[in-house]
Amino acid sequence: MPHETPAAAPPLDRLQRWMQAVIVHPGTIGEALVAAEAANDVAPERLEEVVRPSWSLTAAERVDVYHGMYLLRMTEALESDYPALRHFLGAEAFEDLVREYVQAYPSRSYTLNRLGDHLPRFLAEGPARPNGEFLHDLAQAELAITQVFDEEESPPVDGESLRAVPPKGWGTVSLRPTRALRLLNLRYGVFGHLDAAKHDRPAPRPRRRATFLAFYRRAYSVMRLELGRQEHALLSALTSGVPLGEALARSAREMKESKREQAVFRCFRTWLAEGLFSAIEVGESSSAGGGQVDH
Amino acid sequence: MAGNRWGFPDLGLGVGLRTTHYSHILSQQPKIGFFEVLTENYLDTGGRPLFILDQIAERYPLVMHGVSLSIGSTDPLDFDYLGKVKELARRTRALWVSDHVCWTGVLGRNTHDLLPLPYTEASLRHTVQRVRAVQEFLERPLVLENPSTYLEFTPNAMTEWEFVGRLAEESDCGLLFDVNNVYVSGFNHGYDPRAYIDAIPADRVCQYHLAGHTHKGTHILDTHSDHVVDPVWELFGHTIRHVGLRATLLEWDANIPAFEVVHAEVQKAQAWRDQEVTRAA
Repeated sequence: MPHETPAAAPPLDRLQRWMQAVIVHPGTIGEALVAAEAANDVAPERLEEVVRPSWSLTAAERVDVYHGMYLLRMTEALESDYPALRHFLGAEAFEDLVREYVQAYPSRSYTLNRLGDHLPRFLAEGPARPNGEFLHDLAQAELAITQVFDEEESPPVDGESLRAVPPKGWGTVSLRPTRALRLLNLRYGVFGHLDAAKHDRPAPRPRRRATFLAFYRRAYSVMRLELGRQEHALLSALTSGVPLGEALARSAREMKESKREQAVFRCFRTWLAEGLFSAIEVGESSSAGGGQVDH
Repeated sequence: MAGNRWGFPDLGLGVGLRTTHYSHILSQQPKIGFFEVLTENYLDTGGRPLFILDQIAERYPLVMHGVSLSIGSTDPLDFDYLGKVKELARRTRALWVSDHVCWTGVLGRNTHDLLPLPYTEASLRHTVQRVRAVQEFLERPLVLENPSTYLEFTPNAMTEWEFVGRLAEESDCGLLFDVNNVYVSGFNHGYDPRAYIDAIPADRVCQYHLAGHTHKGTHILDTHSDHVVDPVWELFGHTIRHVGLRATLLEWDANIPAFEVVHAEVQKAQAWRDQEVTRAA
């Protein structure tokens, strides 16, 4: 409607600062309007000088439409990234967690896809809560899944590259991991909880046991592997650039005699076949000379 | 019926591209005029979303629709974001790039909501200058959508349609006219949506949006969660009479049904287009 006698407008930056402070406040609209961050820019008793009541809502109720939608939107975004955490906690406890989390780590990005990047850290460092260590581990696994999903595509090393490595060069090769690979070392099992959320089954009780996981991507789908302790150590060594010969020797030393070489090589072949590596670099000390077989 | 001043084509009827419909679209290749992609869903990802998008871009015309430009914010423009938008537009050969007349956050934060601007001379000047800067950077006209709003600022010195019309004229940008948003805001603020429609500069309108909403009794929320209601279809007909035929898109973002349902909903727009063409002939 045309406005013949507009009220004096607060400067745009002040108006926006005020409105944002009200919208993101974790309490009720009444609490939000009187909170210092908002009241410093617009005194609560002067609300109608800034926001006009409508035919059906007061000025405060109109601001509350935005205030209410903020937490809803943050919760929806985090639910889609942390479905198993949401499934385990239930709707109310999850919303409480989101309310606390977005106060500590509000979105500073143009995308909601990365809103949850700090949630595992928040669960580790934030207020103590029941099953805190388990929640942290579950959140770490779900964060790894979203990171693997969104990573840049890096094609896996192919057969031709493998054949190009001279027989005596294998001991010195270094393997570059595909970007879409995350290795986790957790205190709790989490696969049961990921599956329970996916199939809408009751979440199992958290069970403490050393858990070693790999999440990776194949044909644009996120895959997972549960690893043994030695397998995890070997894969960690390889992905951090330790030459293959040295990593295999380290790993074999830690295994029982009977399981040694076959087991280690079986793992290695599986990882190659699953596309966990994107390049092979032949070390300088190789008789075949240095070089890189890249893809 | 005249077109828009940039010659952006009337692509017919399209729908918003949503993850749940990917496999149907790729396997069934439905006959549809175009898809609109949510810009931010394809930035900072190198995985499946971009892989699928590349395939769809090979087969259909695409337009890009963003929610994080924050054109009215008093924070500095984010040129890192804009660079990624520009690259995605190049990659997908998007026919145009749109966002909203709104702001989404300040002090480095993003509320991820389309927040209303005060309709004052100062905020108009501020926004015009930013639209010009964005257009210069993107090297193409920016297309801006009228938002649904739930509050009005007391200091408003002009109507929303005056603000949007002047913004378009003074910054030389295009408009994405959302018919449902005008209906929603008209109800919430107590104005006649036809007054809005009759005032918009027709030659700047490049695209229409249609969507469903949620009626709360005291106000309407723009939820994109249902079928388009009859009064919005009536307004759509009125809009075509005033503006002309434009690429028309249905948005469905919550409780998303099967692709066929969304497709059938947007095809209802064809009857309105035919009716208005006949009337104009």
